[in-house]
Amino acid sequence: MAFSAGIVLLGIGLVAIAIRRDLVIKLLALGLANAGSILCLVAIGDRPEARVPICAVCRDAVYADPLPQALVLSAIVINFAILALALVFVMRLVEHYHSTDSRRIEGLVQRDLREGGRS
Amino acid sequence: MIVVVLPLSHFVLGLFCYAGKRAARALAAVGWCLGAALTVFLMLETRDGSTVTVVLGGWSPGLGIELRFDAFAAVFFPLVLLLELAVILYVRKDDHRPLFYALLQFLLGAVFALLLTQDLFNTYVILELLTLVSFLLVGYERRPAQIWASLKYLVLASIGMSLFLIGIAVVYRHTGTLNLHLLADALSSSGDARWVALAGALLTAGVAVKAGLFTFSLWLPAAHSEAPSAISALLSGLVIKMGIVVFLRLSQLFPLELTLQVLGAATALLGAVYAAYAIDLKRMLAFSTLSQIGYLVLGMAIGTPAAIVGVLGYAVAHGLFKGLLFLAAGEASAVVGSGQFRDLAARRAEIPNATVGALLIGTLGIVALPPLAGFAAKAVLLTSHPGPFIMAVFALTSVGTTFAFSKLLPVFRFRREPKRKSARLAAYSVLSTPILFFIPLAAAAFPGLRLSPSAWPLLVLESVGAIAVGVLLHRLTERRAPRLPGSIFFLEESTLAILIGLLLVYALLRG
Repeated sequence: MAFSAGIVLLGIGLVAIAIRRDLVIKLLALGLANAGSILCLVAIGDRPEARVPICAVCRDAVYADPLPQALVLSAIVINFAILALALVFVMRLVEHYHSTDSRRIEGLVQRDLREGGRS
Repeated sequence: MIVVVLPLSHFVLGLFCYAGKRAARALAAVGWCLGAALTVFLMLETRDGSTVTVVLGGWSPGLGIELRFDAFAAVFFPLVLLLELAVILYVRKDDHRPLFYALLQFLLGAVFALLLTQDLFNTYVILELLTLVSFLLVGYERRPAQIWASLKYLVLASIGMSLFLIGIAVVYRHTGTLNLHLLADALSSSGDARWVALAGALLTAGVAVKAGLFTFSLWLPAAHSEAPSAISALLSGLVIKMGIVVFLRLSQLFPLELTLQVLGAATALLGAVYAAYAIDLKRMLAFSTLSQIGYLVLGMAIGTPAAIVGVLGYAVAHGLFKGLLFLAAGEASAVVGSGQFRDLAARRAEIPNATVGALLIGTLGIVALPPLAGFAAKAVLLTSHPGPFIMAVFALTSVGTTFAFSKLLPVFRFRREPKRKSARLAAYSVLSTPILFFIPLAAAAFPGLRLSPSAWPLLVLESVGAIAVGVLLHRLTERRAPRLPGSIFFLEESTLAILIGLLLVYALLRG
């Protein structure tokens, strides 16, 4: 169930990146897609009637698999870093081109390259 | 112990690079010496074909992360060291901020770590680290075109890694382990085709984004051509090869032959066509990287041990000559003030002879003139009995590569020049030497390597023939250059291409 929800989130994110032209929305969609993949990873640690794997005395109880949860921590931190850096770069682009429209920026970049050559 | 120190030392040195410019330069040299010493030690240790293995944290191999210095690592470590040395020498006189050196160290540390790790999730983390560091390095000079190229790279690579992560989830769900060796056993015993295909498709798609495969890596031409030249050399020579290494490891787990064949052929041909009609030197080199990656992946699709040796050899050879080409192209375009072939040819007199010499050696290497690096590696691949389809794509790619590099012919004119020395000569010679003497050096480093001498005259003929056809075609069609569509490299189209590619790979794996 949660696994499918993760896939759906990922799908929504990817489609939004592909069709929305605003860079900030694209990055939000990227965050959504990444969250979806993380949800998938958490979901596979689940077992029927499992409890949270935090315990002082772990006996006779069913606990969720702790390994995916450990992996998820790294993935969350990485995705946070990616979004933060991407936003900084979007900021620089906006300062220069005064637009967050990806098509427009692509066109302006191409024009700059044609005119200026490479320095 | 050493396999832990080697990657980690680069990260620690990288942190100290912030102390200042001088310190950063000194630390870069220290890092290289340390890396070289440890690599030599490890290679001597494993000379008899054994491996050095460490499981971190004292866990059992199923739980802990396993680091292993194996044959792949032994092949790639010398390449890493050569490129590292060349780049350090190349940027020696430039005024780079400490951040540049710090990122350089992180990049190399991550490359070492990826070559050693035998854990799927660790691979994911290191690939993400490579993405982040190369993203910062591509945009290092802060030109808007660079920032845009690196942003596209980051978004697409992040999408790819999301797919990779879900692939990891599927694999872990069904096997309960992430160690590559334990996975190989688990996958061969439990053969439910449905989830194996799903996991294989997701992991393949994720790595393909990083490795430069069509339809997944449409970020590559912009990022590799816009990056500062020293960084382009590392990206094209090294970082992209890390995707190939992960592919090599994955192809031992999943039945990827057909997938690799289709993706490899598409990448090789698309890259060759775009390279043939590029008007800018660095952009042409970036497209050529795409086509060479396709070549490598096709070699992988042959699947025999001999072909794997050929793939490893060609990956190293390509790293050497593409690194050299990017470094020399960077200096040439900086001197002329433009990277377009037209301007380079018109203002040839301003480019130092050493730079053009480096370009020439790199070109001869990549078009596989015997007996340089490109030819030696291709010879191994061609003698590993590829099928007729793969053989045809190989031939077309070779011709296409020569065709594309023929545009440099007007630049290759040498006359005596007044005393004007290139400051980058040291960097060029570090990479030129192994290109020129690839066969004896490879034989010395890997005594087990054998080339079958009986096929050599035929291979030489083939190679020279491909070069001749390529140059001739270029001469005949010089005046007519079609405009190829550029919109597939936009962010939106590239995202869609990843989705389509994912479905294609899944269909191929379900067969």
